[in-house]
Amino acid sequence: MIKKILKSFKLIKSGDWFVIFMFGILTVTSAKFLWGLPQGKYLEIYKNNEILATYSLNQELKKQIHGPKGVTEIIIDKGKVRFSSAPCPKKYCIHQGWINKANQIIVCIPNKISISIVGSKKKYDSINY
Amino acid sequence: MTLSTIKITQRDHEIAKLSAIAVALSLIEFFFPSPIPGVKPGIANIIILYTIIRFDLKMAIWVSLIRVFVTSILLGSFLSPTFFLSLCGALFSLFSLIILKNLNHKYFSLVSLSLIASLAHILGQFFVVRIWIIPHDGIFYLLPIFISSAFIFGLVNALVTNKLLQLNPKK
Repeated sequence: MIKKILKSFKLIKSGDWFVIFMFGILTVTSAKFLWGLPQGKYLEIYKNNEILATYSLNQELKKQIHGPKGVTEIIIDKGKVRFSSAPCPKKYCIHQGWINKANQIIVCIPNKISISIVGSKKKYDSINY
Repeated sequence: MTLSTIKITQRDHEIAKLSAIAVALSLIEFFFPSPIPGVKPGIANIIILYTIIRFDLKMAIWVSLIRVFVTSILLGSFLSPTFFLSLCGALFSLFSLIILKNLNHKYFSLVSLSLIASLAHILGQFFVVRIWIIPHDGIFYLLPIFISSAFIFGLVNALVTNKLLQLNPKK
């Protein structure tokens, strides 16, 4: 059986190997390009669509934010971040879990708080942690 | 009794036979559970490849389009999004086959043909999905999965077709 399969590979000609090689490159580059978002460096917290604060992700921190419905707690843990408690009824923000890549966001609409991770660019130097 | 004015040639019989096999394979594939939604082996394309090698390109186009239409009518998805996905994939891969038919046979065998046609099939379907069914850039996250599945199944289909060609030597 294996011998037969190996035998059938012999009909692959040199041009075919080239096509197979190009296919491999295409798969790897597309995966890298589409999946490999860079690790985030900074966390931006928004309240009512206005930026409230920016924190470095490289720390351990619990942060309470007062929104219109109550207190939302965010946990930063060495490169990743999540909502740990929120006053909203459905808790979608908590169920999103940890995020760690640049441009990922978690939004809590009832409490009007959202967080977003940015890459290595420092946007707001004056209010950085 | 009126005589039929359409002359049915041997060629038409061959097209009918091959299309019937392709439709049967499509139906088997439809009822076969797939591990990842949307990823299908495309075993009907074995017949298209077989036709293009054993007969010619024009016949392969006939068989492919008949397969798309008859399968959609049998499954009740005629003119639905599924049908247009299938049709656009088939058209893209036929288009790539038209371009690639003149590749040098010394260096390229049906393996390249199958691989590139399966890639074109996937890209054609992605085109329809992006433009019409799910107009959001988020679906591009799925592209690597579909490209790698096109690679695996394109290769397997080519090897199966080759076996089929060996088993049925030209009369």
